[in-house]
Amino acid sequence: MLKTASTFALRRVLISIPVLLGILFVTFMLVRIGQQDPAAMIAGPIADPGILTQVRKDLGLDQPIWVQFGAYLMRLLQGDLGRSWQDGTPVLHHLLSHLPITLELVLPALALAFLLGVPIGLQAALRPNGLFDQVSRGIALFGFSVPTYWLGLMAIFVFFYSLGWAPAPMGLLSMELVAPDPITGFPTLDALLAGDWKAAASSIGHLALPVLCLTLAAGGPVIKQARAIAIEILGMDHILYARAAGFSTRRIQRMVLRGALVPLVTFAGVELVSLFATGSLVEYVFARGGLGHWGLNAIMQSDFAAVQGYVLALAVCSVVVFLVVDLCTLLLEPRG
Amino acid sequence: MSAHIAPHSLPVTARPPRSALLLGIARRSPTFAAGLLIVLAFALAAILAPWLAPHDPVQSFPDKVLLPPQSDFPLGTDGNGMDLASRLIFGSRYAFAILLPVGLLSLAVGLPLGLLAGYRGGWVDEVLMRAADVLRAFPTIILALAVVAAAGPSLINVVIVVGLLDSPIFMRLVRAEVLALRRAPFVVAARAQGCSTARIILVHILPNAILGATAQLPIRMAWAVRISATLAFIGVGIQAPAPEWGAMIRQGAEYVISGEWWVATFPGFTLILLVIGLNLLGDGVQDLLDPRRRASGK
Repeated sequence: MLKTASTFALRRVLISIPVLLGILFVTFMLVRIGQQDPAAMIAGPIADPGILTQVRKDLGLDQPIWVQFGAYLMRLLQGDLGRSWQDGTPVLHHLLSHLPITLELVLPALALAFLLGVPIGLQAALRPNGLFDQVSRGIALFGFSVPTYWLGLMAIFVFFYSLGWAPAPMGLLSMELVAPDPITGFPTLDALLAGDWKAAASSIGHLALPVLCLTLAAGGPVIKQARAIAIEILGMDHILYARAAGFSTRRIQRMVLRGALVPLVTFAGVELVSLFATGSLVEYVFARGGLGHWGLNAIMQSDFAAVQGYVLALAVCSVVVFLVVDLCTLLLEPRG
Repeated sequence: MSAHIAPHSLPVTARPPRSALLLGIARRSPTFAAGLLIVLAFALAAILAPWLAPHDPVQSFPDKVLLPPQSDFPLGTDGNGMDLASRLIFGSRYAFAILLPVGLLSLAVGLPLGLLAGYRGGWVDEVLMRAADVLRAFPTIILALAVVAAAGPSLINVVIVVGLLDSPIFMRLVRAEVLALRRAPFVVAARAQGCSTARIILVHILPNAILGATAQLPIRMAWAVRISATLAFIGVGIQAPAPEWGAMIRQGAEYVISGEWWVATFPGFTLILLVIGLNLLGDGVQDLLDPRRRASGK
């Protein structure tokens, strides 16, 4: 069992290498076809042509494109993702320090969306086109259609400006508090570990609205998917027999849930990857400074090394997520 | 239907009047009717914008900045003193300027590639599907942001990038359809009769494959409207003061914490309404094309 799982994982990692290379090449090309000249950005506005040529030479921009790509890959293999030209810090450092902030937003939202969405979807599937189904479809359609960033703005207006319940939509902690020393890099977890209850409460307060917005946006697809999966399973023979044999609704729901586990886990992977993207917009609106917020800034500032690093990080995240999903599937359905 | 009806009424009953046909469709799929109604309303607003809008969408009234909704400015004014209602109406032109070409482009790219991959199979299929995997394994919105930011903000860049990024969806769809059709008895029969490959693809497979792809079209268009608004909101898409809804939400974002809620709120509602309309339309088309789907409630 363990051996099949490890060979399986190895195969998956090998298969994803061409995918990663493709994504790397796309991002590598796009910063080079762009309008902005990286050399001009680094040298500054008053650089004379001599300095520009020198910077270009230092960056290897005078080389053919495939030589540049090769050199880029070699540096990647050594763990060198380049430096952000905005502050000169290595990109890898940025990625690692910002990732926990994003995970702290995305993971609770994903968990909430599934804890709420799956029961709703299952319930709706029991009586398609019934009242409950109609209402839940309406909620799902809204979750599908609402722009998350706009939802964030509306939440800020209602809960910060009008009601005063939420803290100012900026940062991870109230201004007057000092963040506890990082242990794990997860702000709330660090505050809890340090026993700093005030900081922990403030941190959770800052997290509440963004998580709720993201949950609603993620919940729509979850409801729709859970409903579709449940309807398919409800039409299968073993459920039909169970119903004919007079099993209780609760018991049948449990059977459906068991059957829905594998497709739901697969869907959770897809959702998680897309939440990394949607989450970046929420981080941007609430100025949380996570990986997504940092990445969007890099895109807006044409910070090439940072953009490449961000896209690469997302690609690696998605490969890892899909790998974990496949391993979970293998554990849940060993015969598959 | 015949014996007791007077002969002279036959020509009338032979074909139901058009209004009855529309009603029938509306009854079979209320979803489709609702979606169509919403999308048509937006299309009308886009066409008739100059006559519907009370003001010029980019005319600034310097002494009427950030007015709340009132009789002169039914939805209020923004930070430049421009009329929000007029800007929203003209904004539907941007929405259609995005969704129509994006839909056509992604279909025009995805359809032939899907036909090729599905019918040829082998290494062509393998290469195309791996390329589609590269795009699918990745949050598209970030890629769109990065590419448009690099290529420069303009309507045409947004259309090209969003259209190309969406084409793998149609490619997959058409390919699956072709794979299913390739072994269908009528295709095998056509081949046995000596039809050329081109004829089999164009006459026998394409019409069937197109049907499945067009059912998906409104839903992909909804996605295109959303993503182009997101690009504008982040500031790399269409730029203010052009009355694009995402750009308008961006303009309104700063006023949310000072209480001028209407600047960001109304563009959001408008965007949601069109996206919902397109989604309903897509669901409805699928219901109408596949009655089994409706019966089972999928």
